[in-house]
Amino acid sequence: MPLDSAATTVLSFSPLMYNLYTDCPMPIYVLSANQISLQQPLSQDWMHDPVLPTEPFTRSIDPDYRPYVSPIEARRMGKLLKRALATSIQTLRDTGIEHPDAIITGTGLGSVESTEAFLLDMCRNGEQLLKPTHFMQSTHNTIGSLVAIQTKSHGYNATYSHKQISFECALYDAWLQMRTSAINNALVLGQDATTPNYYHLFNLVGYDGPEMKCTCGEASVATMLATSVPEGQTPLCQLRGVSLMHTPDNRRVAAALERMQVPADVVVLAGYNGLAANDVMYDRLLADVLSQAQVLHYKQLFGESYSASALGFYAAAHWIGSGQYRQILLMTIDRSGDVALTLLEK
Amino acid sequence: MILITGAGVISAIGIGKEQTLQALRSEQGGVAPVHYLHTEHKECMVGEVKESNGELAERLGIAKDEAMVRTSLLGISALREALAQAGLDHADLSDTALVNGTTVGGMDQSEKHYLEYLDAAEANQLGKDGKVPVVDYIRTHDCGSSTDLIADHCGRFGMTTTISTACSSAANAIILGARMIEAGEYDRVVVGGAESLSKFHLNGFNTLMILDQSPCRPMDATRAGLNLGEGAAYLVLERAETALARGVRPLARLAGYGNACDAYHQTASSSDGEGAFRAMQQAMQMAGCKPGEIDYINCHGTGTPNNDPSELEAMRRVFGETLPPFSSTKGYTGHTTSASGSIEAVFCLLAMQHSMVPANLNFAEPIQPWAVPIAHTRQAQLRYVLCNAFGFGGNDSAVLFAADV
Repeated sequence: MPLDSAATTVLSFSPLMYNLYTDCPMPIYVLSANQISLQQPLSQDWMHDPVLPTEPFTRSIDPDYRPYVSPIEARRMGKLLKRALATSIQTLRDTGIEHPDAIITGTGLGSVESTEAFLLDMCRNGEQLLKPTHFMQSTHNTIGSLVAIQTKSHGYNATYSHKQISFECALYDAWLQMRTSAINNALVLGQDATTPNYYHLFNLVGYDGPEMKCTCGEASVATMLATSVPEGQTPLCQLRGVSLMHTPDNRRVAAALERMQVPADVVVLAGYNGLAANDVMYDRLLADVLSQAQVLHYKQLFGESYSASALGFYAAAHWIGSGQYRQILLMTIDRSGDVALTLLEK
Repeated sequence: MILITGAGVISAIGIGKEQTLQALRSEQGGVAPVHYLHTEHKECMVGEVKESNGELAERLGIAKDEAMVRTSLLGISALREALAQAGLDHADLSDTALVNGTTVGGMDQSEKHYLEYLDAAEANQLGKDGKVPVVDYIRTHDCGSSTDLIADHCGRFGMTTTISTACSSAANAIILGARMIEAGEYDRVVVGGAESLSKFHLNGFNTLMILDQSPCRPMDATRAGLNLGEGAAYLVLERAETALARGVRPLARLAGYGNACDAYHQTASSSDGEGAFRAMQQAMQMAGCKPGEIDYINCHGTGTPNNDPSELEAMRRVFGETLPPFSSTKGYTGHTTSASGSIEAVFCLLAMQHSMVPANLNFAEPIQPWAVPIAHTRQAQLRYVLCNAFGFGGNDSAVLFAADV
C-alpha cells in the first residue's frame, strides 16, 4: 500500500532556530486559483471588465455546474457544496493533479444554508421529522470531504473554521507541511456562503450594514499549491510565507514582517470595507509598521464575507501572474484584532 | 522530540484528571438520561458534564453578564488544568499557540435564540432587556469565536486557530500542534478540543438513526448506536529542549500521528476501513513502531453498527488477527464528538502513567472472534499507545504516545 512516505520523516526534522520564511530553499508555487463570487464565475473577467455591485448584499453568480457534477448529484447539494466542487475540480483540471497530497479548507460558517435550514426547522417545528441531509451538509468539513470523495483522494484532509482568517489558517497548514517536506502539493479552499437571514443578523451586530462601502457577498475559492511546477505550466506566483497572530501589538507584527523579509515599500492588499471599526485597525497598523507601503483594496470588487480574504489571495495571485505586480502582502485583520499576513511574489 | 507537559480534561466522568482516573479505575460510567440539555428527546442517554452553565461559570469565575457558550465553559475548565500542570501562567502564553477543535461552537445558544434573532432583525433593533443582550450570541456562534472565548479567559496566546473536522477535530489539533513545533514555529502549542451537547447535533445524529436509547455497547455484536457526550481536553505539547530547560516533568512523548481520508461517504465508514488503516499506519511508521510493540489501542469505537466493524477491519489490516489490547471508552463518556480525540488522548496518558488499560464498558459478545476488547479495567505496563479518532467525511486520525521520555 503506497503511503505518504514523506510523512514519516517529519519528526526527525530538527528546526531549532530555523526561519521557515527565509532559510528553506524549497519554493512553493501557486499553480492555479479559481473563484465563484459576485464576479463572473470561474473566470478572470473582473480584471478588465468587473461586475460593480450596487446592492448592500450580493450573492455569487452560479455557473453552469454540469461540467463538474451530474445534475442528479447536484440536486442533493447546497449551493456552497456545488461551488466548492466546481472551483476545486477546475483547479485540479488546470494543474493535472488528480489526487492532491492534501485538501485543506477554510470556512467561517460552513454550509450555513444547510445549518440554517435544519435550525429553522427545529426551532419552528420541534424536534420531530427533521431531515438528515441538512444536518449532514451542515458539518463544516463536509466541503473538503466532498471534494475528497468525488476525487477519491485519500490524503491529508483538514478544515479550519477560525473567523475571518479561516482561509489563512488553511494556507498556514499547507505551507507548514510543504516547508517540512511532509507533502508536495495541496488543494487549499476558502468557502463561505451568506444567506439573507445571516445578512440581516450581521447587520444587527454591526458586522456589515448600510455604512459599509462594499457589498456583503459570498466567497468560493480553490487554489493549488505545489513545491514543483508540472511540465508545460506557468505558475501564477510563489507563496513566500504565512504568519498568524492572535491580537498582536504592532511591535509583534513588525517582528513578523522582518522575519518574512517584507520590504518597507511592499504592495499591501488590505481588507478595508468601509466600516469604521474595521478600517481603523488597518489604518493604525499600516501607519505604524508599513507607512511606506502602497495599499490596495479588494473588497469593493469581491464583497465582504468570512472567506473574503481567499478572494484577496486569488486576486493577488492573478495580479502577480499577469505581471501587474511583483510582490503583494495580503493583510487580514479580523474583528477581534487577529492579524494574518500572506506574502506572494513573482 | 515533542513531549506532553500538561493535560486537562472534563467529561461526563468527572471534572479534572483525578476524578477521571477514579472513574476509569472503578468502571463508573457517566452516561445517563438527558438532564441538562433542553430537548424533547428525554428518552436519550447522553454523557453530560454534571454541571449547569451557571455552575460552570461560577466555578470558573466568569461574569454573569458575559455572553458565554457551553463549549467555551467546558474548554476553559480543561485548558486551565492543562496550563497549571505544565506550570504555565499568563506571561508564558504570548509565545504559546492554542489549536482548538470544535464543530458545535456556540450552537447551544444559537438554537435557543435563533427565532429571537430573526425577530430582532426584522424589527431592526437590539433586545437589551435581559442580562446578556441576546444578539451577543450571534457573535459567539461560530467555531473560531468559541475558541477565542476559551483562549482569552486563560491569558493571551500568541496565536489561536480552530480545526473543525467533526469527530476527529481534537486529534487533528494534536497533529497541527506537533507540526508547528517540528517546523520551528513554536516551542509550545496547547492542543485539544471542546464540544457541548446541543439540540442541533443530538437531533442531527437522531435523523441519521445512529443513536442508541440504551447505554451504548461499543465493539459488541449487539451494539445499536452511540450515545452523545460532551466535554473538553487539552494537552500541552512542548519541544523537549524547552521543556527540559524549564524543568517540567513530562507525562509522555508524542511519537507519531497520521491523518487520511476514507473518501467513501459523508457519514459512513468504508467496509475495508481504508482511511483508518492509513492513519494508524502513518502514525506507527512515524514512531518507528512495529505492530507487536503497541500495548494498547484506545479505539474510536462509537458503538454504531457501521463504525466498529470498519475500525476492526482497519486494525486487522495493520495488526493481523492478533490485536493489541484495545477498548473504546465511549461507554464512559458517550461520544464527545469534536473533543473525543483529546479527551481520549488524556485517558491514554492516564492509562500510561498509572499502568492500566481502561475497560470497554457494556461488552458481552465480540463482533469477530478475533476482536475481543478489554472488558474490565486491568493493570498493564504501557509503552506505546495508539489513540484513534474518526470524523464525518471519513476524516480519520490516529496519534501515538510513548511512555519513555
